[in-house]
Amino acid sequence: MDILKKSFKKSIWVFHLSTAACNNCDIEVLELLTPRYDVERFGIKLVGSPRHADALLVCGSVNAHAKPRLLEVYRQTPKPCLVVAFGSCGCSSGIFRDSYSIVGPVDKVLKEEDPDVKIVYIPGCPPKPEAMIEGIIKGLEAI
Amino acid sequence: MAKKKNVKVMDDLKKKLKKKIIDISKPREKRIYIRVTPERAAEVVEYLFKKYKCKFCTATGIDMREGIEIIYHLAREDKNMVINVKTLVPYSNLEIESIGKKIPAFRWIEREINEMLGVDFKGHPDMRRLLLADSFPKGKFPLRKDFKNSDVTDEDYDYERSGI
Repeated sequence: MDILKKSFKKSIWVFHLSTAACNNCDIEVLELLTPRYDVERFGIKLVGSPRHADALLVCGSVNAHAKPRLLEVYRQTPKPCLVVAFGSCGCSSGIFRDSYSIVGPVDKVLKEEDPDVKIVYIPGCPPKPEAMIEGIIKGLEAI
Repeated sequence: MAKKKNVKVMDDLKKKLKKKIIDISKPREKRIYIRVTPERAAEVVEYLFKKYKCKFCTATGIDMREGIEIIYHLAREDKNMVINVKTLVPYSNLEIESIGKKIPAFRWIEREINEMLGVDFKGHPDMRRLLLADSFPKGKFPLRKDFKNSDVTDEDYDYERSGI
């Protein structure tokens, strides 16, 4: 397990997944990659496949259409992995929680699949870039 | 001057559609409401669409408790008027002739009204779901007044159908 802990120290590779998000969070994620915050200098970068990822960044209140896709991506991610429930919708389904198509926030869906899933909650609509960096750091400390 | 013209349009429609409609009224200038029976709705809308070159804006469905009211919104651009064809489809017989089988612009909105309110459009060429998830339980219609979110629980979803 020590080697796994060591691998989480640096260069977190993140797979960004949008499950019925309004796109505002997705746009704010791009802000992290711009020169002002530039998280790539810490080695945090977005990758194109969940199989390469250390962390899943899940935006959006999960609806019925996205739920099987989210579970499939979670299964494909190498364990241990960190899940970031991003934005108000990711944390609690936000203002959409009483809608007929919503099957629950990210944690509810993932805990059905894996009760020991490690989730970081970053609230905000959308969260500030500083909050996102802070959230990732806290998640890494917890692992 | 414009007002006079619109009265003419109304009288003209009244004369031509007399036998096919229940009621015609003009609540405001530049707007005409036509009420028809569900059996005649397709005929009247097609007539307006083809004969008067009305542009089809959209159709809306509302649950009126005694039935589903479908309103076809048509814009008549030569007279700057909007014509609304209203029809009440009763709950006892939720069927109406599809206009989409002849005019493709009606197809998507008919699909949406079908999945959200449960009106059966007879003769529609492609009645798949448009907005609802494929796993959403069949026979539940989320935009009806008597629908509650607790009617659909997580067990009701059939994720086999969602294509993964």
